[in-house]
Order: sequence, then structure tokens, then C-alpha cells
Amino acid sequence: MIKSYKLRRIISNALIYILLGGLGLIWISPLVYMIIHSFRADGGAFYSHILPWPNADGVRFTLQNYVDLFTKADNTANFPQWFLNTFIIAIFSCIISTLAVMMVSYAFSRLRFPARKPLINVGMILGMFPGFMTMIAIYYLLKALGILQLPHLALIICYSAGAGLGYQISKGFFDTIPRALDEAATIDGATKNQIFWKIILPMSKPIIVYTILTSFIGPWTDFVLAKIIVGAQGQQYYTVAIGLQIFIDKEHKSAYFKQFLAGSVVVAVPITALFLFLQRYYVEGVTAGGVKG
Amino acid sequence: MKKFVALVLAVLMMASVLVACGGGNNGGNAGNTDTPKGDTPAESLEIENGAKLLVWSADKAVDLTKKLCEDFKAANADKNIEIEVQVQGEDAAATQLLKDPDAAADVFSFASDQLSRLLKADSLAPVFSAKDVIARNSEDSVTVATVDGELMAFPETCDNGYCLIYDKSVVSDEQAKTLEGVLEACKAAGVKFVIDAGNGFYSCMFPFTGGLKIDGIKDDVQQFNDYNEDEVVATLKAFSDLFHKYSDIFMSSEDSRINAGFQETPHTVGAGIDGPWNVTADLAALGDNFGAAKLPTINVKGEDKQIISLHGFKYIGVNAVSKYPYAAQALADFLTNKQSQVERAKAVAWAPSNTEALSDPAVTENAALSAIFEQKQYSVLQSGIAETFWTPMGALGNYLWQESANDEASIKAQLEKAIMLIKDE
Repeated sequence: MIKSYKLRRIISNALIYILLGGLGLIWISPLVYMIIHSFRADGGAFYSHILPWPNADGVRFTLQNYVDLFTKADNTANFPQWFLNTFIIAIFSCIISTLAVMMVSYAFSRLRFPARKPLINVGMILGMFPGFMTMIAIYYLLKALGILQLPHLALIICYSAGAGLGYQISKGFFDTIPRALDEAATIDGATKNQIFWKIILPMSKPIIVYTILTSFIGPWTDFVLAKIIVGAQGQQYYTVAIGLQIFIDKEHKSAYFKQFLAGSVVVAVPITALFLFLQRYYVEGVTAGGVKG
Repeated sequence: MKKFVALVLAVLMMASVLVACGGGNNGGNAGNTDTPKGDTPAESLEIENGAKLLVWSADKAVDLTKKLCEDFKAANADKNIEIEVQVQGEDAAATQLLKDPDAAADVFSFASDQLSRLLKADSLAPVFSAKDVIARNSEDSVTVATVDGELMAFPETCDNGYCLIYDKSVVSDEQAKTLEGVLEACKAAGVKFVIDAGNGFYSCMFPFTGGLKIDGIKDDVQQFNDYNEDEVVATLKAFSDLFHKYSDIFMSSEDSRINAGFQETPHTVGAGIDGPWNVTADLAALGDNFGAAKLPTINVKGEDKQIISLHGFKYIGVNAVSKYPYAAQALADFLTNKQSQVERAKAVAWAPSNTEALSDPAVTENAALSAIFEQKQYSVLQSGIAETFWTPMGALGNYLWQESANDEASIKAQLEKAIMLIKDE
């Protein structure tokens, strides 16, 4: 038994740090591997060295994979087009979903109307069903409506139409904003609509940022639904998720593997940029306003 | 509340109307029962005016397919045909088509392994111009696609097999003649020899070499010839012994591993059994050291046996629910005629199934294609293979290089299990 409290603390801390450090290393190593190897000059898929090896010309690292990714648009791969497609889909879905979520949350939080409670419950229950269940049905409905030929519109509809169901977190946030603010605004002659835009939204920046991020990342990284809807269309309609999978399918792996690594890194850029840009609003916001006296 | 109910009803009504519209469009082909019986020359097919066709082509061949489609439009300029060409891998054509035949291509190319799936789903329209097509294509390519006397697809290529690809700086041409020689050469250089032993497409070579053969499908059950089980087992044992003896050299991995090994510095792979779809990349990686030969022989109980491979073809099929069956048939015929096949051989080095086009220099001067043709005479044709064939066959191949595969009794048990699983449907 170790008597010294200090020694005991040091030992237990060391053990905890080793454990956490090990877990962290395991978690981060695939990312590091991907980033390092995206600059690799040598080899293709199935690489046997852990760190890149100099190739026959003695080159170890190169930007060529990224250059190829954006300049070599051919019948197999057209990454710039895929990137643009995904960007457009994600931007529109993000705007529509964020607005929908905010409005639904506001209505459920502030307005009192018949069947409000049942609607909240129905929304909760519908949101619990896994999305996989309805995918085939969605495909045939879109086909019947004839918008399968416009796959990007179809995807935007799919991603944003049901977005309002994700109201729970924002509604919880709105519930914490004192109703006294609404009342004060009402006394000053503001309508419900004005209260939403001018009072509630400016005070809810953190939750708006959160909603924007999640509703952007969803369409940006979605594979299954995108594959079902766009998969049968031409390659020029693909999103990055489908496109990157083309890079590593059986037939193309040997030629496109390094481009796949570069593409995987590039895909992370918009999400990271969006987060960095919006990050500062995370801390601001709710503490800024409030009810006085 | 009443308002709400009315609204719901209105939405439901709208939806049902829209769905009905969608269904109506697809039923257009149902009444077309008087299809020609295979002896209509392609030229006399009455192409529908204003036909709109969707074509699926492999990414490597899509530029050529687009050009050929333009030629086809020019040849039928009075019909106002519209053709859209989309990229769709030949390996996934059947999967995509069966997902939703209405939305799939009218004319599409696919490899012969998907034939049975497509036939089972009645997704292929019989060839209207069969007489001509049979006359101009090699007999085996026609036989494979013929079901109950009816030709079901247009032969496109005849190179869907595999051969030995090796690095000449590691394996000499002489060593490439026997499997023992190849493995010894790889061992001397400390590099790997790759076979995708877990993939039924490749692993069926092990029992085939021992005399097993496919004999069509009867009542949905895969049939085999009267093979000598002891001989098959002895051959499997010979493979297994070699894999064990060279356990640090032999590697079971998918075929693109071969190319990846050629690309690494220094090369980690010396030879492998690979298909023509990877050959262009192999050639680029190896340059002057690129070698291609028929599969080597293997020594079974003192006798050198030629390894028997599986050989298939690629076809162009016409979707059975195409809205413009005549235009689709005419286009498929055009895409597989002699001229188109020669152009395909020149542009993407796919070997023609057309007997006359086979003598084109683009084919005869291609080392890998020559190797595959040489191997073709030692092959089992990929015809009448049940869907259940691939997985058990892959499992058998995978078993051979496991440690437990060390005596004839256990190998025999695995072979019997594989045959039973293939037949059980």
C-alpha cells in the first residue's frame, strides 16, 4: 500500500493518461495515415509500408494525387463535378432544413394551438423509425412523381422534407428563453413572426450553428440514400460519397487508390471550414441577452 | 378537424392520381407480343421513329460507345433517334438493371457471369437478328448465350478469362511454364505470387484442373460431369501442398493486389493470375519486364497437368421492357458488328467475339490477349453456371491454403461440401 497521497495521485494519473493516450492514438491513427498517404508518390492500393517509401524516382511525397483529383476528369472519375454536385445539394438542404427546424421548434415552443401535444408526440415517434425502412418506398414515390430524372432535386427534397422532425433539441433551447421577452415584444406591437425573426433567432446562435452543421454534414456524407437515387443515373450526377466509393471498387482500385486518399481529405475541408467559421457563435449568444429587472 | 380530414383526403387523391400516371407510362410495351423469331436481319428491323434509348457502357469504353452510337444515328438519320450513353460497370450491370428494369438502360453490356441472373428475371429480350449474329460470331460465344434454342444476347468480346502475368526480371519465360517454377522464382526474389483463391471465378481452376466440369443447369440445380473424385482430390492436394510449401510466397488476395505489388518500390509481387481488365495497368507498371503466358502446369503425382481456367465472354443485352425494342435491337446489333468490334479492339484492347475481327493486328499483337486465347483451349466455358456456384467454390479455394488442409480426407470432405452447397438450391 502506497502511503504518500502525492505518489498515489501521480501513479493513478499516469495510468489514466496512458489509457486515454492509447485510446486517442487508436482513434486518430487512421486519420493521420490517410492524410500522410494522400501525399504518397509510391504504390497503389494494398501498400505494404506503414510510412510512404520513396518511389522508383526517389520521390517520397508529392501533391500529384491532389492535382490528379481535380484535373483528371474522365469517364470513371469526375471529382470536381461530384464536389460541386454535393456542395449544391448540401447548401440547399442545409438552408431549407435549418429554416424548417427553427420554425417548427418555435411553433412548438411558443404557440399554443389545438393538437400541439399530439403533434409533438407524433413527430417524436416518426423520428424514431430508422430511415432505411422507407428508402425503397421513397425511390418508387419519386419515380411515380417523375423527379427521378432530376436526381439532385430529388435528393434535396429527401434531405429537407422531413427535417422539421428534428425539432427536439432546438425546442428545448427555445423553451429556456424567457417568455417575458415575447410578452414585452408583444406589448410593443410585434407579431409572432417578428418575434421569431427579431427576438428569438438572434438569441439562439449556438443552436442555429448546431443545426446548420448537422444539416450540412448529413447530405454531405450520405451514401445509402444517394446511391439508391443517383446510383442508376449517369456518373455526372454522383455525389462525393458515391464517387469515392467508385475509386475503390474492384475495377478501379489499382488506378485510383491514391486519388481516393486525396479525395477523402478534401471532403473533410468544407465541413472543417464551416465549423471554424461558425465556431465563434457557439460561445456568444445566449449569455448576451436577457431580461432586466 | 373536418378541414384537416378533407386535406388528408385531397393529398391522398393527388398521390393516387400521380402514381397511376407513372404506372401508365411503363405499360407501353405490354401489348407487343408479335416479336420476330430470330431470323430478321438487323437492316430490316423497323426502327421506331423518335426512339429514345439509354445505353450503359463500361467507363473505359464509354467514349467509343458514344462515337459508335453517333454512327448509328447517322446511319438512321431519318428516324430521329436520341441516344444517351451512361457509365455503368459491366460487373454491376445486372444488379442495377434488376433494381428497377423500367429505369434501366435499353441496351447494356455485361459479363457472362450475370447471364443466369438476368435470364432468371426474364430481363433479356431474345435477339431478333439471331441468324446473322450466330453466323458472324465464334461458336462458343453464341453457345453460352443460347437458351432453349434462342439467342438471348449479342456477343461483344471473348476475352473474359485469365492468364499468368509475371515480372520478367523475376520469373523467366521458361520458369513461367510450371507453377513450381513460378513459385521457386518468386521465392528466390523474395516476392509474392498472388491468386485470388477465395474468389470462385479464380478458385474453380483448382478442381477444374482435376477434371471437374460444369454440365449446365437442370431444374435450377447445377450439374457436373462424371468426374473422377480421386483425381480431383489428388489435384487439389497438389495445389494445397504447393501453397503450404511456399506459404511465405503464395498470397491469396484479390487480383488488383498484383498490380499494387508491381507499383510498389521495390516490387512486392513477382507474378499472379490476372484478368485482361488489369493488364493495361500491369503493362504500365512493369514496362519492358511485362510478361504474359497461359496458365502454368502443376505436377500431380509425377505428371505435369495443365491448369484449366474458366473462360467467359461479354455480351450486349437488350432490356426486355425497353419501350423501343426494335431500335434497341438494331443498336445492339450495330454495337456488336464486325466494324464495331474491330474499333473496340483498337481503342480499348478488348478481343472481339467476331470470327473475322479476331485476326486484326490490334488483337494478334497484344501479348496478354494472345496468352488468354492460348489458355482458352484449356478452359471450361462460363456457361450454365448457377448463382450458387461462386461462394462455395471460393470457400473451397480458400480452404486449400489453410493449415488444416493437409491430408486428402479433409480436402475430399471440403470438395464434397462445396459440391453439395452448389447443388443445394
